[in-house]
Amino acid sequence: MSALLEVSGVSKAFGGVRAVDDASLSVEEGSITALIGPNGAGKSTLFNCISGFLRPDRGQIALAGRRIERLPPHAIVHAGLARTFQTARALTRLTVLDNVRLAAPSHPGECLRNLIARRGAVRRREAQVTEEAFRLLRLVRLEDYADALAGTLSGGQRKLLDLARILIASPRLILLDEPMAGVNPALREELLAHVLDLRATRGITFLVIEHDLAFVMRASDHVFVMAEGRVLTEGTPEEVRRDERVIDAYLGTDV
Amino acid sequence: MTVLSSGEFWAFVGVMAGIYTLFTLGLQIQFGLAGLLNFGQVAFMAVGAYTMAILVVKQGWSMWLAAPLGVAAAALAGLLVGLPALRLRGDYFAIVTIAFSEIVRWVATNEDGLTGGSQGTINLRGEGVAAQYNSQWERFQGWLGEQLGIRSKDVVMLLVVWSVALLLTWLAGRLARTPWGRVLRGIREDEDAVSSLGKPVFRYRLQALVLGAALAGLAGLFYAWQFSFFSPDDFQPLITFFGWMILILGGVGRMWAVPVGALLFGFLFAATRFFDFPPFSYLDSADRAYVRLLVIGLLIIGLVLVRPQGLLGRRQEMVLE
Amino acid sequence: MFWQLLANGFVTGSVYAIAAIGVSLLYGLLRLVNFAHGDLMAFGAFVSYLANVTFGLPMVLSLPAGMAATAALALVSDLALWRPLRLRRAGFMSLFLASIGVALVLRQMILLLWGPQPRAYDVDPFKVYVIGDVRLSLAQVATILVASAAIVAIALFLARSTTGRVMRAMADDQALAQLSGIDVNRVILLTWVLAGLTAGLAGTLAALVQGSFDPNFGFQLLLPVFAAVVLGGIGSAYGALAGGLALGVATELSTWEGLAGGVEPAYKPVVAFGVLIVALLVRPQGLFGRARIV
Repeated sequence: MSALLEVSGVSKAFGGVRAVDDASLSVEEGSITALIGPNGAGKSTLFNCISGFLRPDRGQIALAGRRIERLPPHAIVHAGLARTFQTARALTRLTVLDNVRLAAPSHPGECLRNLIARRGAVRRREAQVTEEAFRLLRLVRLEDYADALAGTLSGGQRKLLDLARILIASPRLILLDEPMAGVNPALREELLAHVLDLRATRGITFLVIEHDLAFVMRASDHVFVMAEGRVLTEGTPEEVRRDERVIDAYLGTDV
Repeated sequence: MTVLSSGEFWAFVGVMAGIYTLFTLGLQIQFGLAGLLNFGQVAFMAVGAYTMAILVVKQGWSMWLAAPLGVAAAALAGLLVGLPALRLRGDYFAIVTIAFSEIVRWVATNEDGLTGGSQGTINLRGEGVAAQYNSQWERFQGWLGEQLGIRSKDVVMLLVVWSVALLLTWLAGRLARTPWGRVLRGIREDEDAVSSLGKPVFRYRLQALVLGAALAGLAGLFYAWQFSFFSPDDFQPLITFFGWMILILGGVGRMWAVPVGALLFGFLFAATRFFDFPPFSYLDSADRAYVRLLVIGLLIIGLVLVRPQGLLGRRQEMVLE
Repeated sequence: MFWQLLANGFVTGSVYAIAAIGVSLLYGLLRLVNFAHGDLMAFGAFVSYLANVTFGLPMVLSLPAGMAATAALALVSDLALWRPLRLRRAGFMSLFLASIGVALVLRQMILLLWGPQPRAYDVDPFKVYVIGDVRLSLAQVATILVASAAIVAIALFLARSTTGRVMRAMADDQALAQLSGIDVNRVILLTWVLAGLTAGLAGTLAALVQGSFDPNFGFQLLLPVFAAVVLGGIGSAYGALAGGLALGVATELSTWEGLAGGVEPAYKPVVAFGVLIVALLVRPQGLFGRARIV
């Protein structure tokens, strides 16, 4: 196996506070890698750096060998990396179906010129996208809500919608930011099953920030632990669980 | 009540509502679709009108060539404002657009050599010579009236403005339902989410701003044709806010709400002219004008309290988080 | 010439600064872009005029009268309009539109009560103080003294008093309000009182410095005040103070010949917006605002 995502020496400071401090990690192709650590450890900041929402002050980030640390978020998506947010970001006044269709890649109808010049291509692609969107909504069992406004969904349903939405772009790597937070136990099982299934059937790689240690233990192959902006240690879930430094890091910040 | 029964008066009210429809349609694309707070829309209207008038009077261009260039100039102004300013947060962007509209008005007021200065287009050739940009348009209006068998120029104008306004409203409505419009509506909801879905948010916003600016430029052309004369005072910031009122009166996000809102606003504005019963009849005409705007202010406040989603808006969409 | 312009700039800037405090706090607390603020300022100026010219009171008494009346009006507007809108969870656009409505109503009321003609306070326009090269009218001297005192007082209030600190904290971070068990309505009412007092003060001082003023002068002040708020970083109270002063000084100094010949005086109002745009391009979150984090 080779590294799909390679983060080396990334630092990011806000007004003198080093949120991420010389962090390095690598994510193997086809793995489910967890990123854990106490609150304020810099996990979300690192995610924002990887996905292009923040530009790192220093360091390199490579996706499948291609440097991405200076690309804007949308270009990073095109490179094959998709992400979700800590709280699901449903586009509330769009329908559930439109939420998914909007995420479809290379749609000629999203360019003004094509709306006049290539109407046939636009219509064909839209039909394709709609079919694909329905397939994904069925996958996460939201097809009954297709025409409802996304703002009417519950928090857990929105997380499922977020997942369906990024799948339409067929990403190679998905970053999940606390997928289990605010989700009821039944839906947690469902989300976990989806993640495992997506890796098995589509070979998608996952990098997951998660506080729910049950999830980390059950799903991940590899764990990175961050504390105070640095990567403290890494290993298999079992190794990490026995590592005293990890326990100290958590205890030291009252989590 | 003589004015009330005058067809000319109502045709005038209708023409203004049509011009405001075009003006506000731009705001609807910018805000209703893309979530942009443009508080300087009137600047693009001014750029359109002035470009046309200056090209006709000073360069001797045909109005038919100058008019599309006026629209293009308004669009270009939108591009120039958007390139730097769209990187700002929404409320900061709003203030920059207001600032831009005041800068345009000040330049128009003070650059006498270019714009005729505070006296307006009549001075486009310098003082003492009354400049005219409108003869070609008036000839066209007369010709069209003959073809249609309509004698009143106001009615011809009414037909022309509303044909254009309704056509463009229809087109904008279709545009909103395309995949392009879908991305814009997504950006309105949550730009970071849309950007995390692989869409270049900045480019879409810029397109919406430019399209809206072009529509304002078109509104500026009709304004110029309707009055055959204009000055920087016609482009006060208040005009932009009339547009916003129409937008919110009609309902944000729905293209057909724009002509409805514009008509309602036009008739409200006109109807308050007819306060000639007690107690209003005790006031002199200047005071009555104040009462008119006061009543409009109260109506706006009432509307916000009673029906914040506008006439055609959906209540449900107002409360979704 | 430089010192004269600097002094003029300080006079204008302090008026902007005092008015900007209210706008910034209201925006931070209520998400309200208060379009009626300029007309609130004009209202204060006209009540002071009523006390000063109609009733023949000295400015020392007229100014507090104008401030008190404006604060009362601001308070009433919250109880009658803004609180009901809050209870209905009115959105940003509804609030914004309502404030345009209030602006229209206020200005027309002033026009109905006082008419459109320009007015002036009963102060000696010919009395001039000379300090070195700087010549200041009585009105300017009075404005400098009162405004300096007011700015210091406001800054102290915001920094030291519990209420002031809560206001700043809430304007900066709204989530805080829900968490900390503060009596939100009380803080909002007090903010309206502060906004009214400062609007009345700024309006009267602006009218005093201008010499003559009409009911539209408040709206003309509104845009530079908004610019000051943005320059300082929306929602930041100290930023609004600094932004106002910076904008006033920059506007006046722009005509200084030592500055590459200076700008034509006719373009002075444009300079304020030019400064704003340039400042925002360099620092998109305003001078004192915080950068956005996803």
